[in-house]
Amino acid sequence: MRRFLDGGIRLYLVLVLIFLYLPILVMALFAFNRSPLYGLPFEFDLVWFEALAGNKRLLQAGWNSVWIALANTVIATTLGTMAAVAFGRYTFRGKTLMQALLFPPIAIPWLVIGTAMLVFFFWVGRSVGAPGMARGLHAILLGHVALSLPYVIFVVGARLNDYPKALEEAAATLGATPWQVFRRVSVPILAPGVVAAALFAFAVSFDQFVISYFLAPPGVTTLPVEIYTSIRKGFTPEINAISTIIIAVSMGLMLVVARFYRFGGERSGNE
Amino acid sequence: MTPTTRTRWAIFSLTGPAYLWLACTIFLPLLAMLALSFLDKSPLVPKPPEFTLGNYGAFFAKDFYWSLTRWSVELGLWVTFFCLLIGYPAAYALAKRIKGRWREAIFLLIVLPFWSNALVRIFSWTMVLRSNGIVDLTVQSFFPGAPAFDLLFSYPAVIIGLVHSYLPYMILTCYIALQAIDDSLVEAGRSLGATSFTTFRRVVLPLSLPGIVSGSALIFVPVIGSFMEPRILGGTKGATLGMNIEEQFTVTANWPLGAALSFILLAIVLVIFGIIYPFLRRQGGNA
Amino acid sequence: MSEVAVTGAIKRYGQVAALDGVDLTFADGEFFGLLGPSGSGKTTLLRAIAGFIALDAGEIRVDGTDIARIPVHKRNIGMVFQNYALFPHMSVAENVAFGLDVRDVPAAEIKARVAESLDLVRLSGLEARRPRQLSGGQQQRVALARALVTRPSVLLLDEPLSALDKHLRQEMQVELRRIQRQIGITTIFVTHDQEEALTLSDRVAIFNQGRVVQAGAPRAVYERPVNRFAAGFLGEANFLEGQVTALSGGEARVALVGGGELALPQGDLAAGSAVLIALRPEKISIEPGMAVGANAVAGRITAAIFSGSSLTYRVAVGERLMIVFEQNKSRAPLTEGSEVVLRWNAADNVVVAP
Repeated sequence: MRRFLDGGIRLYLVLVLIFLYLPILVMALFAFNRSPLYGLPFEFDLVWFEALAGNKRLLQAGWNSVWIALANTVIATTLGTMAAVAFGRYTFRGKTLMQALLFPPIAIPWLVIGTAMLVFFFWVGRSVGAPGMARGLHAILLGHVALSLPYVIFVVGARLNDYPKALEEAAATLGATPWQVFRRVSVPILAPGVVAAALFAFAVSFDQFVISYFLAPPGVTTLPVEIYTSIRKGFTPEINAISTIIIAVSMGLMLVVARFYRFGGERSGNE
Repeated sequence: MTPTTRTRWAIFSLTGPAYLWLACTIFLPLLAMLALSFLDKSPLVPKPPEFTLGNYGAFFAKDFYWSLTRWSVELGLWVTFFCLLIGYPAAYALAKRIKGRWREAIFLLIVLPFWSNALVRIFSWTMVLRSNGIVDLTVQSFFPGAPAFDLLFSYPAVIIGLVHSYLPYMILTCYIALQAIDDSLVEAGRSLGATSFTTFRRVVLPLSLPGIVSGSALIFVPVIGSFMEPRILGGTKGATLGMNIEEQFTVTANWPLGAALSFILLAIVLVIFGIIYPFLRRQGGNA
Repeated sequence: MSEVAVTGAIKRYGQVAALDGVDLTFADGEFFGLLGPSGSGKTTLLRAIAGFIALDAGEIRVDGTDIARIPVHKRNIGMVFQNYALFPHMSVAENVAFGLDVRDVPAAEIKARVAESLDLVRLSGLEARRPRQLSGGQQQRVALARALVTRPSVLLLDEPLSALDKHLRQEMQVELRRIQRQIGITTIFVTHDQEEALTLSDRVAIFNQGRVVQAGAPRAVYERPVNRFAAGFLGEANFLEGQVTALSGGEARVALVGGGELALPQGDLAAGSAVLIALRPEKISIEPGMAVGANAVAGRITAAIFSGSSLTYRVAVGERLMIVFEQNKSRAPLTEGSEVVLRWNAADNVVVAP
């Protein structure tokens, strides 16, 4: 009975995994299929990946996505880590309120945030005489950083909470100057958290569609926006090819994150 | 502890940049949009706008918006329901029945799609659900001559796609809650004479409630604001409030109406959080 | 080595005074235990000496120098933290070397002194291990070696043994005392474990609500507590309330509330005054019988608790409940319900402030 039950549980989990992965695998499969009309039987071909290389629009969108994601990673990780350190190491009035303010960017639907940014940026742009400033890669970057900041602060904060303040105090009693404490104790201890946060920030930006969609002016796009436009207009397996690449990159990143940061603790653990 | 000037300066310079950024990109925009929802003209129009309640009036005057909203909420409820139905048993199996390396591996596989591109994952369902898609071909190969299977551009397609998108959230939150329950509590329940099922219902389920509630919120909120998913998988069927808001900003350029609709959406979100907050609070908030 | 003098130390957190006028001098080479319930101010004082907390008023002098303006890293202290605070990203040797490294001590000397220090705490051979690969007792020794290797002027210990189990704790107490004797460093030690404080310290101070209730040699504080709190916190005590009825020949007679009479050295007692007497449970002898006299009361055993080497009796004396300890000698133990007489010496009656 027990074994039968365990078998059933395994089967159930396998079915859930099939549900999660089947469409992605099918989508990826068609990227390697020769037929432009998604016809079967399957014939292996890299023609759609080759076609990507000649698709200027998609390539440009791809570059935009990568650059925005990189800039977002640097900015959000820096600012977020600074704020996390302040929260983790100081007690001050308004701290709880400030931490609560991190939830709206996560909890409010992106649709609302994205359109609100469009409205506000447009007003600001018009009041300085450049309404065109409301949209563009800079606006998209502004938005992505805002969405990434809470994640960075949470991830770095979690790492910081795992380590007692006493470590830094101990270093000070041993004669380390504040700078030495920072460099030789705080930084090495925070590093895995910061790296994980940076990878999260990259993923948040690289996959972000809604905000980019509202802040992208005609002719300037990121990869998800370009894919969305293509899906709406009618598409070829080229879209499958680029989607496959994106999924592979995202999942690869997530695997790296998992190496650095396990939910609820560090892999190598300090029990 | 009264912070000395120096630590005060440190706190200010550490948190200042991040919060200035958030102010300019989240909080001021929300205020701007709130203001816009009470104006009668889009800022795209060069004439000066005037105050009006008409945008909110339009929402309550037309059955059309009401039915959009109702479908959005229904969609949110359906998706949340199916995520819970599928996700909770999976989380339970993972937290309580599978141990060691397998647990770690399966857990990773479940959260892996979590951060991969939502748009691409929705797109992938079109490959599966359309006529001549994988499901259709499989059905045809087993039952030749069966009616063509074409779910694309239907209500179920939207629900399936959204469940696929948000299932990992539910599994993750429930898993965290379930994992935190000490096995000795279950043993204690059994030792006091309760059956496995009673122990589950009276001990495990209440203790995992924060996970269920927070998972539901994490799913319900984005789903009622969704527009891309219903557009790709539902086509013209099942227009949502989110789709209409998007149109006000991108097609009809009626920004004030879009702003008002956005705030109605936000109001629904706030009501949801208001309802679930006590649940999370009561359990000590460790979810 | 150094003498640390604290005068008029005050530290407030809002309305709460964590330190409410503390004066204490820690003599050169002394092992000094700070004892008290949590929130009594003992840890606050330790952290003020370390430099993590700035006093609102009062001063701390080390060998006559006011250290208020000296930052933590220049105070030349060694500190062992409650959970050791070993750096998880460094090996044992790197942890111990850290204090020398930041002082730019030459590599060869660092190596020698780390070896010497690990030898002192008997951990040689574990240099390459990471802290998480060590047992609790070993981590404790690393923390101690790390604190001592810089040759600090004062060693501060913040509940250093509280994370260890009982057996290991006793072993480490002996170790700690040996090492402290060997290098003769002024050591200030915070604990809430009274037995530990008595075992280790040359002198102890009992804290309550931000004040020093009593300070002195362990034996003196134990035998002559000044008030009810000191008597009750350090060890167990029976408290007897009464009134001085007569003074004669250097002896005071006290009538107890609820019956019974005591005789005790007169001291500065005045006839007619109300007194509170503390009486240690182990000073009382217990035997069957009914006889009554001065410094003897009759009662009935309500509970006899056997704990191996000793027995604890709870005895109902009128309305009062008294506790008596007895060594487990050969005699058959007294049973519950027995009528007994409790006797003790006049000198064991300690008059304490309420």
